[in-house]
Amino acid sequence: MINTQRREQFLDLMAKSGWDVLMLYGHGWRKDFFRSLVNFNFFGSHAAVAFSRSGELSILVSHPWDQEVIARSVDAKVQCVPDFESGLRGLASEFKNAKTAIAGMELMEARFVDPQALSATAAVEALRRIKTAEEIEILRQASLLADIGYQHFIDTIEVGMAEYELVAEVEGFLKERGAEDNFMLIGSGGTEVFGMRPPTNRRFQIGDNVTTELSPQVNGYYAQICRTLVLGEPSEDQRKSFSIFREAQQAAEDFLKPGVNIRDVARVQNDVFRREGYGEYTGSKYTRVRGHNLGLYPDENPYVLEDVDCPVVRGMVLIAHPNTYLPLSGYMVFGDTLAVTDNGCVRLGRTEKKLFSKEV
Amino acid sequence: MSEIPPEVFEQRLAGIRRIMAAKNVPAAVVYSELWRSNPARFFSNYMPYFNRALLIIPADLPVTLLCGLSPRVYGWIRSVTTIEDVRPAANFAQPLLDLAAESGWARIGILDFPQFPFDLNRAIKAVNLEIVNIADVPLCDDNELAMRRKAVAMAREVLEAELNAGVGRTDYEVVGRLERLFRRAGVEDLITLLTNGSSAPAPATGARLEPNYSVSLALEYRGHWVRISRPHDFACAPEWLIQDDPSAYVENLGRSYPYECVSRSSLRSGSIFAVHVSRPAGAKQIFYGDTCWYGASGPEIL
Repeated sequence: MINTQRREQFLDLMAKSGWDVLMLYGHGWRKDFFRSLVNFNFFGSHAAVAFSRSGELSILVSHPWDQEVIARSVDAKVQCVPDFESGLRGLASEFKNAKTAIAGMELMEARFVDPQALSATAAVEALRRIKTAEEIEILRQASLLADIGYQHFIDTIEVGMAEYELVAEVEGFLKERGAEDNFMLIGSGGTEVFGMRPPTNRRFQIGDNVTTELSPQVNGYYAQICRTLVLGEPSEDQRKSFSIFREAQQAAEDFLKPGVNIRDVARVQNDVFRREGYGEYTGSKYTRVRGHNLGLYPDENPYVLEDVDCPVVRGMVLIAHPNTYLPLSGYMVFGDTLAVTDNGCVRLGRTEKKLFSKEV
Repeated sequence: MSEIPPEVFEQRLAGIRRIMAAKNVPAAVVYSELWRSNPARFFSNYMPYFNRALLIIPADLPVTLLCGLSPRVYGWIRSVTTIEDVRPAANFAQPLLDLAAESGWARIGILDFPQFPFDLNRAIKAVNLEIVNIADVPLCDDNELAMRRKAVAMAREVLEAELNAGVGRTDYEVVGRLERLFRRAGVEDLITLLTNGSSAPAPATGARLEPNYSVSLALEYRGHWVRISRPHDFACAPEWLIQDDPSAYVENLGRSYPYECVSRSSLRSGSIFAVHVSRPAGAKQIFYGDTCWYGASGPEIL
């Protein structure tokens, strides 16, 4: 349950930064900072772990069931306080006059934050960005789950089925196979579709582009796959459109290696669209990001954008996805989870890189 | 679109506007995110799948949503909420200030401002607006109770029908089966904890389920969260949940989070909450719980 390699890094960070105590906070939506040290999928609304330079851990949770399970597995003081604000005050009193830094401070309820505390968020994010060998292996398992999940998506979809029915089947399939969670968006239709969102009761029709982003979570870590499927024979415009996405994603995959900058990972994707006369569709009106880092949160920094300055280093795991709207065929998605190696990157998943279609 | 008619949202807005008038504020701000969606959902049916948002409720104009999501999904937002005016807001403080300037507001009310995320609270404090905290706004009416009743009735029906089939299966299989059944019934989110009785309910680990295992669900239907816990093959009495049992776990379901552990004494008339108890079953423990409401005549199971 304790990420020992990360704990050593955090202790080094504390020493270098002059912090006496490092606290990692999580809530129901953003458990990632807490789980970067104590990898438990807590159920309650809040959890925090504080540790001193001597390595002593003190864990605070807001649900008694979390306390019971964590206390059985971790050699640490584990407290449960439904009133989390007073619990944090109690925790702070254990480290009197200590210089405390908090990772996830920005996410905390304002009333929880000690005005003297410093933010450790950026520094801890920077450490988390580079995955350990064990973390990459877990991400590989999550990617393989995404592969079979997408195959199940293809096998299950049919004309007349509602989006939410398909999502129910995929969610069930992934969780039967051990996924803790799955962040999944979907879109369906034609040139009127500008993005993905949670499933609706729209029923699939012949000729639809069906886009999905599957992000199964294994042991805390999210991998992601983005694919587009056409129900029926793809039109010439759908094929032409997809070829642009395919080339853009491949450009990112070919380019990604230690030493390059993340802004250029975005640029090489956008350049393909520009060359084809679709440069305006690479901006925020039509798309969000050209990829992002992955890990204990499915949308980690850095975002792959041309105005983000972040050097790529070995051990980063990210998705490159040039997802956007094109007037040729509406919103399309295409992307894979990539792990940065010594001299390039490897795909952690195996799903074929193509425009999928299904006979109807 | 919502199962709740638009006029109900108008009534709810009228309620918060009466509070605003009493506090002499021309607008109220409500925070929303994936895990804290109850208040904005109550007033507008807005339920984000990602990112943050602020719902702005003016005293005499339609509501505005300042939204961290991309403008590409604003059509979807309009189609599933009562909101027409959706505006992008990467940084929420400046768009809020702009809206205040546009509307001539020098003072605004903010629901539960000390509970806002620290960065957002700090950014809003830094802008030139007088802020009035509005606490303890009631988020319950007959329609809210009806939706929670519907959600928890579905939870009971599906889970109780599945419990026998779980024995001998892995907890992963049971979680997957419940996902399929509930999501096909329209559930948006489902958290499933299980135990064979030697510890508290926890996320699935691949364990094979034994007789008297327990399942605890948190389930979101149309944005309405409910909680239940049920054991396999063990006679439970609903009275256990109503009695003032000091060992019971009480969760408030009626504030911004889907559920939060609280003391029973913090509940008051109108509170929607869950109670979970454990009982010995041989050498093991079973877990039983349900969603309740604190009505005029005291607590009752929904």
